[in-house]
Amino acid sequence: MLLEKHIIEKILDAGMATGADFAEVFVEETYANNLQMVGGNIEKAASSRVFGVGIRLAQKLRTVYGYTNEQNPQAMIALAENLAKSFSGATMQRVPLMPFERGMKHQAKINPKDVTQAEKVQLMKRAHEAAKNYDEVIQQVSIRLGDSIQEVMIANSDGRFVGETRVRERIFITAIAQKDGVMQTGSEGPGSGKGYEYFFEDVNIEDFAKEAARTAKTMLQAEDCPSGTMPVIIDNKFGGVIFHEACGHSLEATSVAKNASVFCGKLNQRVASDIVTAIDDGTIANAWGSANYDDEGNPQQKRVLIEKGILKSYMVDSLNSRRMNHMPTGSSRRESYKYAPTSRMSNTYIDNGSSTLEEIIQSTPYGLYAAKMGGGSVNPGTGDFNFAVSEGYLIRDGKIAEAVRGASLVGNGADILMKIDMVANNLDRARGMCGSVSGSIPADVGQPAVRVSAITVGGKKGAN
Amino acid sequence: MNYEKLFEAAKAKGFTDVQVHMTDNRDLSIEVFEGELEKYEIADFSSLTIRGLYNKKIASYVTEVMDDEAIPGIIDKLLQNAQVIDSLDEAIIYAGDERYETLEDLFNQDLGELDVAIKIDIAKKLDALLKAKDPRITFVESFYSESTRSVLLQNTKGLKLQDKANSAVFGGSVIVKDDNDQRTAFDLVISNDFRDFALEQLAEDIVSHAVKSLGAKPVPSQAYEIVFDRTAFATLMSAFQGVFSADNVQKGMSLLKGRLGTVVGSPSVTIVDDPFLKKSSRSRSFDDEGVATKYKELIKEGVLNTYLHNLMTANKDGVKSTGNAFSGAIAPVNLKVLEGGKTQAELIGAVTDGLFITDVQGAHAGANPISGDFSLQAMGFVIENGVLGKPVALITVAGNFLELLKNVIEVASDSKITYYGITTPSVRVGKMPVSGI
Repeated sequence: MLLEKHIIEKILDAGMATGADFAEVFVEETYANNLQMVGGNIEKAASSRVFGVGIRLAQKLRTVYGYTNEQNPQAMIALAENLAKSFSGATMQRVPLMPFERGMKHQAKINPKDVTQAEKVQLMKRAHEAAKNYDEVIQQVSIRLGDSIQEVMIANSDGRFVGETRVRERIFITAIAQKDGVMQTGSEGPGSGKGYEYFFEDVNIEDFAKEAARTAKTMLQAEDCPSGTMPVIIDNKFGGVIFHEACGHSLEATSVAKNASVFCGKLNQRVASDIVTAIDDGTIANAWGSANYDDEGNPQQKRVLIEKGILKSYMVDSLNSRRMNHMPTGSSRRESYKYAPTSRMSNTYIDNGSSTLEEIIQSTPYGLYAAKMGGGSVNPGTGDFNFAVSEGYLIRDGKIAEAVRGASLVGNGADILMKIDMVANNLDRARGMCGSVSGSIPADVGQPAVRVSAITVGGKKGAN
Repeated sequence: MNYEKLFEAAKAKGFTDVQVHMTDNRDLSIEVFEGELEKYEIADFSSLTIRGLYNKKIASYVTEVMDDEAIPGIIDKLLQNAQVIDSLDEAIIYAGDERYETLEDLFNQDLGELDVAIKIDIAKKLDALLKAKDPRITFVESFYSESTRSVLLQNTKGLKLQDKANSAVFGGSVIVKDDNDQRTAFDLVISNDFRDFALEQLAEDIVSHAVKSLGAKPVPSQAYEIVFDRTAFATLMSAFQGVFSADNVQKGMSLLKGRLGTVVGSPSVTIVDDPFLKKSSRSRSFDDEGVATKYKELIKEGVLNTYLHNLMTANKDGVKSTGNAFSGAIAPVNLKVLEGGKTQAELIGAVTDGLFITDVQGAHAGANPISGDFSLQAMGFVIENGVLGKPVALITVAGNFLELLKNVIEVASDSKITYYGITTPSVRVGKMPVSGI
């Protein structure tokens, strides 16, 4: 137990004493390790231990949040009392806590705490060798490996009382290719919500390292991308960042509840072309963005956001649900106890369609093939988004032609969903870190290859 | 935690030297939505970073659990970490400098003591002012947040240093809507002096920017002369500030490698790191290694003068540390682009056919700090014969950071501390490729 039940009850009671109609306690202890290798040598080895408590109170639409990492229970109760001063009214009755429930899905077989730093270094050295030896143009390889064990306990005045252990690890490999004063990079960032069995048994780390090196070398030989509006084929895995940025954020209650999203009031209306089905699923076994519970203690769910082009659901946390007349969807997440939770994505993807990638390329006379995407961002108020292409090629006469670098895509989320005119059948997901009001959280993005009939491509070469 | 006990326990396990870096934080955050206090957040937290020197390698451990019982576990983990470090660079724990700058105005007691009700009130007033400005406003949000941080650094070489700073951010955002378009605007003021939070000016800036942006459309793809507004230029600078890190340079991961003493920008470009900047909560008299911070010109009139160093990179290059070791990396304290003599209006007035860029987005993804290439979503206004015209959105501006610095024609005198901790004026540059329709 991170914190004893009777202390949690005292905190909840102190929070409810002055008229709040909701009280919540989030307790967290996280152990993390980070190793950094440059040029094959470990330069940094750091570990951390986080412990703290976040207390949230609400009265109708008003919320107050406080957090502390004082270990003393009296300090936690005092924080609740201090927060309760924001409200006035009669003491509200809370639902007694249910028997403590521990989430048992998404278990790790090889827990990071049972893996020595030396074994992790070995994994990194293998990745270094594979990337460095890929080609003579690879001048530098930088690798970061991080793992974390987050133990959480969540209790609230609705009687929820749950906890779970979340294990994650990720390696980030960056290969730098250099020739004639020009530098280009390629990166791969595999990770998992499993234990170290993911790296030791499921995948071959050398494959990712070589892939990063291949991208860097390809981009070194690439020409500057031309600019203009053209059809763009965005391939699978991290290509799903298009949906994440362009639409996902605008479907979060954070912006919808305040009438600040372009998708407000569009439930059961057409928001995408009819070949688009989009899902946010926080229940996928051991996926990067999965958990037993959301950070309000409700079970994670699979949410169909868009079905055959029709908007079916937003992603809603319990407090925003009060504004929205929409059931909470188990979507409330936060980076740590230092953030009040709010509606966020988990593992978000566009579902498979019926075309093949080859068919899509063949039916495109001229355009851009974005084989790999970098990150991006969106303004949920307008839906305008941007994202970077980290490996791109021009398509000429239905064939993949020369590689191009420095391309970025800009567009509008509502507009682009309507312009998806082909969807392939090669759905796959990739790991990402998503930053928003409740901090930086692990989230998967994903899709099969899709074609957008027209999108603005920005590049250094200028207009053709 | 009893630091002496920690030091002793570490030395008993073979550590040569140990350093602790303790931060205490107190935060307040207020948000007003639809005239009501919607969010009120208070926080009180501490974090202790322990760095141990073992066999000339430094490992680190950050903990929020600071009782003496945690000491053996911390030392064990530090030892494991130190034993896997195999870089050839020798690390040291610093005995200290002779002199440290005194930064008294970094902590403004009056700000901390000001009643919370007044802070809530100013956010409510901004909310009301914003709402009243224009009938097309459909959404208003305002916020006030304040943080106080004290730092204590102590090590087995006898060094003991302390700093305390506070700072507040006050701002708001709106969405405006007409029959054909919806636009947003956002602005803020950063200071630790409550008198700097000029309500009327802030409200006017936010609303006029939002309203003027209604109907924004892409422009034809071609090269344009550009005036970057100060916040847009700060966003660009923030994406590339890593190029000044000597660590990146030594590892071949900076485009400034091998360019010391050479021309990397136009003569109008002078970029400094000013750790003593007033009213910036980032200002410091010492860095995380205990080295005294100093004012330095990174680029002086276009010529690259120095990189930013920590103890290890300085030792490698045979120079002195510039006091820029922060949070396990090398970073500027307050990066500043020095002002020129003209007003922003004069910069715009000098452009016959170009763009005034007020905002760039996606710098974390669309800017590659290693190659220097960027292609970023931008918005702003058309400039025709020196006069601002139609609003522009959904375009990209592309280039290379070094080419951009060389392309700077003139620099205005309207500097502001931005959200990124970077202070820059508006800047006029020569033609850059823009992608639109």
